[in-house]
Parts: sequence; C-alpha cells; structure tokens
Amino acid sequence: MGLFILRRVGVMILTALCLTFIVFFLTNLYPNLEKLAKTQGNMRMSDEQVESWLGERGYLDPLPVKYGRWLGVLPGWTFEDPEDGKITGRCIEPGMDPADAPSFCGILQGDWGESTVFKDEVGTVTGTRLALTGKLMFWVMVLMVPSALLIGVLAGMREGSKLDRSLSTFSIASTATPEYVSGVIFITLLASSAGVKWFKGTATSAADNATFENFFLPVLTIALYGMGYIARMTRASMTEVMTAQYIRTARLKGVSFRNIVIKHALRNALIAPFTVIMLQFPWLLNGVVIVETLFNYKGFGWTLVQAAGNNDIELLLACSVVAVFVVLVTQLISDIGYVFLNPRIRIA
Amino acid sequence: MTNQHSSRIHPAAKMHAEEYAEGKISRREFLTRATALGVTATTAYGLIGATPAKAEGHAQAGGTLRHQMEVRGLKEPRVYDWPQIANLMRGNFEYLVEYNNDGSVRGMLLESWDVSDDAKTITLNVRKGVMWDDGSELTAEDVARNIAGWCEKDVEGNSMAGRMNTLIDPDTSVAIEGAIEVIDSHTVRLNLPNPDITIMVGMADYPAAIVPADLNPDDIMSAQGTGPFKLVELEVGVKARLERKPDHTWWGTEIYGGPYLDAIEYIDYGTDPAAWLAALEAEEVDVLYESVGEFIDVFDSLDLEKNEVVTGATVVIRTNQAAEIDGATPYADKRVRQAFALAVNNEVVLELGYGNRGVVAENHHVAPVHPEYAELPAPEYNPEKALALMTEAGYADMEHELISIDDDWRKNSTDAAAAMMRDAGLNIKRTVLPGSTFWNDWAKYPFSSTSWNHRPLGVQVLALAYRSGEAWNESAYANPEFDSLLGEALSIADADARREVMAKIQAIMQEDGVIIQPYWRSLYNHARPGQVGTGIHISYEHHHYKFGFAA
Repeated sequence: MGLFILRRVGVMILTALCLTFIVFFLTNLYPNLEKLAKTQGNMRMSDEQVESWLGERGYLDPLPVKYGRWLGVLPGWTFEDPEDGKITGRCIEPGMDPADAPSFCGILQGDWGESTVFKDEVGTVTGTRLALTGKLMFWVMVLMVPSALLIGVLAGMREGSKLDRSLSTFSIASTATPEYVSGVIFITLLASSAGVKWFKGTATSAADNATFENFFLPVLTIALYGMGYIARMTRASMTEVMTAQYIRTARLKGVSFRNIVIKHALRNALIAPFTVIMLQFPWLLNGVVIVETLFNYKGFGWTLVQAAGNNDIELLLACSVVAVFVVLVTQLISDIGYVFLNPRIRIA
Repeated sequence: MTNQHSSRIHPAAKMHAEEYAEGKISRREFLTRATALGVTATTAYGLIGATPAKAEGHAQAGGTLRHQMEVRGLKEPRVYDWPQIANLMRGNFEYLVEYNNDGSVRGMLLESWDVSDDAKTITLNVRKGVMWDDGSELTAEDVARNIAGWCEKDVEGNSMAGRMNTLIDPDTSVAIEGAIEVIDSHTVRLNLPNPDITIMVGMADYPAAIVPADLNPDDIMSAQGTGPFKLVELEVGVKARLERKPDHTWWGTEIYGGPYLDAIEYIDYGTDPAAWLAALEAEEVDVLYESVGEFIDVFDSLDLEKNEVVTGATVVIRTNQAAEIDGATPYADKRVRQAFALAVNNEVVLELGYGNRGVVAENHHVAPVHPEYAELPAPEYNPEKALALMTEAGYADMEHELISIDDDWRKNSTDAAAAMMRDAGLNIKRTVLPGSTFWNDWAKYPFSSTSWNHRPLGVQVLALAYRSGEAWNESAYANPEFDSLLGEALSIADADARREVMAKIQAIMQEDGVIIQPYWRSLYNHARPGQVGTGIHISYEHHHYKFGFAA
C-alpha cells in the first residue's frame, strides 16, 4: 500500500511537471507576453515600450531558464536601471535591499510567484479562491450525492416499473442539460422580473455571506448535471445486483423487500457509483468554470478564466498544479476506497 | 461659493457672453469656452445671467453606496489607461480642475486660472487651505512637480505627455526649462512656447490626478491624498471599498458641499450586461457604471431611474494606412478608404448598431457638442460609386477583414457597417475578438472599429488620434497639411476663429476617408431610485463627494 501511494505521488509530480511546462510554453509565446505587457503596463503601449517592459522583467530570456526560475532551480532575474542604478528582480520584494534578497525563489523555495491580474501572491489568490470553490462543491455534494443515490436506488429496485421509467427520464434529462443551459433557465425563471424572484441570479455576495437565497441556484445548477449521471450509474449497478443469485436466495428465505434492498443490495450496488462520485470532483472543477462565471461567484473556476484571459503566467501554472493534484488525489482515494468496499480487489 | 473669482475676466469670455445673448451659441458651448479661458463656472453663469443648476442639494448624510464597476489593478495616475482605475483613487487623489456634464470646467485644487490673450501664458492659482493627510498644505511646488511628472514622455504608458505636449522639449522628453514656473507658494505660471488651448481641459482628464511627493508607485493604495475618501480594500476583479477618512475636514465641503456617504463599494460583475442585470435584480448593486446597448431597454422596463448625457463619445471604423496585407498596403490608397466610407450609411448604423441612442456623425470626429464644431454637408452615401472606386484602385477582389471587439454596441455597429459594405459589393470578412485580447493590438489592426471617449474640445481627439506619429494614431494617418492646420487650430483660443480652421480640417478628414464615424453616443446609466449625484458623467468620472442618498 505504501509503495502504491508513493508511486502515485511520483506520477503526480511527473504529470504536474509536464503539464506546467506545456502551460509555461504556451503562456510564454511572444503574442501572449505582449498581451501581458499591455494589460500590466498600458493598453496602448507602443512596440518599443512593450519590448523594454518585457526585457526589464526577465520575460525575454530563454524558455528553459525562465521555467527553471519558476521551479526555483535557477537564480531569479535581476535588472539594473541604466539611469538611476536601481536594481529590481524576481526575488526582490518592493522595498527590499537587493543585497539581502535571496537568489533563488521558485516553487522549491515555496514561492509561487505574483499574480499579475490580481496583484497579489499566487499562493494567497489560489488559496482564497479554492476555499470559495470548496464551499460551493461541498454544498453541491451535499445536495447531489444523497439525491442521486436515492433516485438511482429507487429506480434500480424494480427495473422497468413506472417509478423506474419516470426517475430514469428525469436523470437523463438532467444530465443532458449542460450547466450553461440550465443555469440560464433557472436565472430567468426563478431570479428575474420575467419569472418569479425567489432567488438571486448572482452569487457574488455568497462569497462573504452565503444564504439559501443567493447560493441555491449555482449549487442546484452544478448538482443537477452530476446528479443524473450518478443516478444512472447507481441504477445500472442496482439492477445488476438485484438480479444476482444471493438476492434471489434472500427472497426465497422470506426476507422483506425493504431489508433486501437496504441490507443486502445496497453495499454492493454502491461500488460503481463510488468511483463515479470520486471522478466527479475533477469534473466539478471543470463545471464550476461555467457556473462561477455565469453566477459571478469568484472561486477557482472564475480565477482560471481571469488568469487565462489575461495571460497571468504564474497563476495559470498554479491552477494547473492544483488541477493535477485534485485529479490524482481523488483517483487515489477512489482506488483505496474500492478496496474497502470490494474485498475481492487488492492493491499490489 | 466663496472666493472663486479671479479678478480679471478674459475679454473673449465677455465676447462669448454677448454671442450667447444673441443666440449664436448654446449655453453648453458658452460654458465650455468661457471656463476654458479661466473664467469660473459661477462667473460664467453670472455673465449670461443664469444661476448654476444645483443637483446635489438634497442628499442625506451617511450610507454605503454599492456601485457596479470593473475593479482594476492600481497604477501610478499618469499611466492610468482606464477611467475605472481613476475612480478607485478619485476620493483620495484630487484634480486641479473638474469637467462637468454641462460642459463647464471648474476649479478644484485650483481656485482659479487665467489664460493670456495669446494663450501662451497660463497662471494657475492654487487653492489655499487644502491639506495632505500628513497635515502639510498643498502648495504651488506640489502642482509644479505633478505637471513636470506629466511631461516625462519616456515613462512607459504616460498618456499625460500627449496632453501636455506643448510643454515638452522634444530633445530631452521632459518639460522645457522654465516652462513651469513657481511664482509664489500658491501660484504657478506655465510659459508655453506655442499657444495651446487644451492644457486646461487636459488637466481635468482622469490621469491628471495630483499625487503627493512621497508617492510609491508600488503602493498606490496607502498613499496620502487631499480628498475625503480612502481606498481601504481592493481585490482586483472582485471588489473595492472606499471609506470616509475619519475626523477629516475636506476643503470642498463649504465650497461645493458633500461628501455625504460613509462608504462606496465597487463590485466587479465583469463585462457582460446580463450579469449587471442579475445584480440589479438581486438588489446587490445600487447603480451601474454604464448601461449599454439592448440592455438599456431591458433596464428601462425595471423600476429604475435612468440617467442620460449627450457626449462626443463615439465609435470609429478606421483603416490603418500603414498596414501591410500580403505585401501590399491597400489602405494607403485613398480610393479604398473613400470606397468604404461611401458604402456606409451612417444613419443606418446608428439605428441598427445603437438603437438610435445618439446623433449621426460626419466622419471627421468633431462633435456638435464641441465649441469649435463647423457644420459640413453630410458624407455622401453612394454604394455604386464605392464599388467603382474600389475596382479602380484594384482591390475589388481582396477580402477585407473587419475586426471588432466582442461586445454589444461596437460589434453590432461594425456588423451593420460590414453588411452595407457587402451590399455595395465589397468583399468583407468580419472577425470578432474577445475583450481580453482585442486591446492588445488595437492600434495596429488593418481594419477595425475602436471606441473613443468624449473630450471637451474638438481639437483634442484630433491631436491624440490623427496627428502624425502619435501613439494612439490607430489609422496611421500622416498628412502634413492636416498636421499644420491642426497646429494652427490648437493655438486659437477663440472658438469662432478656430472654427474657420476646423472647417478645413474636418473637410480634409472627410476627403481622405480616414474614418467612418457613424454616430455620437448618448451615455446612460441606471440606478435604483432614491440617489443623488450618481448619474453618469460625460467622461465616466465619479465625483464621490456628490454621491448620496436622497433625504
């Protein structure tokens, strides 16, 4: 088990390295750097001004060198102003004496850099934003998982019954409706003068003070999409279990239907949905991009959009590391959880 | 209003007052002209026997106003590239003069100013009793230092250098020696080598904030200022909060009234008007930065107050005359440019692109609201001639890519123009770029549309955007005749005399087909009922001391 986890961590680091290098390469293409210079300097800078802006900040050095600086294996850039001799550098904080500044400052030194869009430490930005997305995801899970399992189990109990058909129709419909469609429909019907004003069509204030009124719609929008999918998986797994030999034996023994479902079928039926639920985490990270933008909820997905739209190199890199981390950790959890749910499977 | 008067009234102002009395100019024109000459708004109103409108008389003290606005990162004022940035700091960093919706310019940190008859000497009388946060008084030295800073042309993105161009020595790229002269503790004299009438209104523009001597460009937020509000919280892209400085006595309270509010919150809802609608419906903001396009009708249908101001803000569809496409420079050919202009009916663009919320313009970027506007015949609309000219120039088969930003009105207006060009038989391809990428190359696109904000004088935009070699010259227009005529116009303080030259300049702009400029926009914003002073400003300035809730 220890070796397995260790190997997984190794894979994670390798994936993160590859992914960040690709992101690094793409964000460091010259047109993107030019965009960065203009959004940071002045929208209407001339080409020469862009060139000098980039040069003074070490953006025009070779790609491997810049990547090495970000990792912290190469010393950060420094620039001496030819006019007043003022030294600026990657590792020199404003107001710090250049002589005291460390020469290395990258991931290895625990420095994630500075976000150019948000004018703040990348670590702080991703931290705050992830916490907000965590809050959103938590409520999504609270709403989605129990209702999806309930729907799936109810539908799978008696395959082909009226209950099964209607619940299946509902889950297919909810999965088939993407977030940007259901979100817009909810806002129009439930949060505008065109429909009824039960909720708020924007979740901006939910960041500080989440209430049922301002937070329910985004939660519902994400939850509905995943709900149908998990419900379908649960149903499939449930129907399969319900036709198994041991269930028939239990019935013949005279166990009540209720006890069969709860005591005998449920645990076995939950193995497949468990993996699906775990896979939903990275998927949710993806879904929040749309929903957070739609509802103006300033979490991780929204941050990703802002970082990408403004070519915020270091923030994008941190976002990719977070994404790799979330995907691989949830996979790890699902693999380990599998062992507990299904004794037949062993991890070497 | 105490102590506002400068002893001397510019003779031209008296002349304008007579013109106003004779009905030759409108009140707005009179005010713009007279105040640009150094006459205070109060005196100017006095000259024509009117009393200034007082809109801010009924505000109650206290309250927090929530304002929808993009919250952008701070930078040094002179390199501001968005009015939004200026608005964040406007409560702290104040301006020498303030431009108002009625076309007048009034003194803020300046008590008054005098423009000499030849427009070559400008005397600035700094207001007495204005205090920095550290308790020291604002002096002529502070003002002179700021003006000198504006003149540093080599500072990346310093757009004030364009406004102060006359004061700048082209060899050293800083202010000419002796041009900025401190006379005494509260008087600064500007000695211009050439007459320049735009300097005073340039000082009202949003990057012209007066900053303290100890300004740290890396920490603008905690800098001291002279204003009554302080930016206490700033999360770029999320929100910002301005609070009244505790126990602060503001110099302007007894002169202009206010400030009324305890705090102003700016909340960023992105660039999509649908999000602003949701925010208003959810009662999470009190007032919008600006209402745009089709959404104006939607906002109208809600229980909101609508504010409107007629401006010289516009959209310009221009070719870049220096642009190279496949080795050729098609837009250097005047016939090609004329063909585009002939193919477009400006009235239709106004109707389809902007829902008729404005007035038709005449392809020369001088607005009827500008004092020196010369009325010219409307540009010709003639699709057949357009195609003939394009064929004659040899570019009839070429596909012209017309680029616009992805938004509501600019995209629609450009679409409307493109549709008419296609109807005329020109080969047009439309490309729509998202807002985050559009501005990267805005000045270099071969053929694209750009929005321009309002400026108080007609010569100003021409000097910024069409003079040869200017940084914002997006059409790469370089015409020595135009440059010299514009130089001449820039030296005539009297708007009527200037109009003679302007007529020629405007005609050159039309003849050269530099731009297709379909319409002048009216600007709107919507607010929840019960506010004062939050109506949209002609150049998007937020005068926080006027904001308040109705008593």
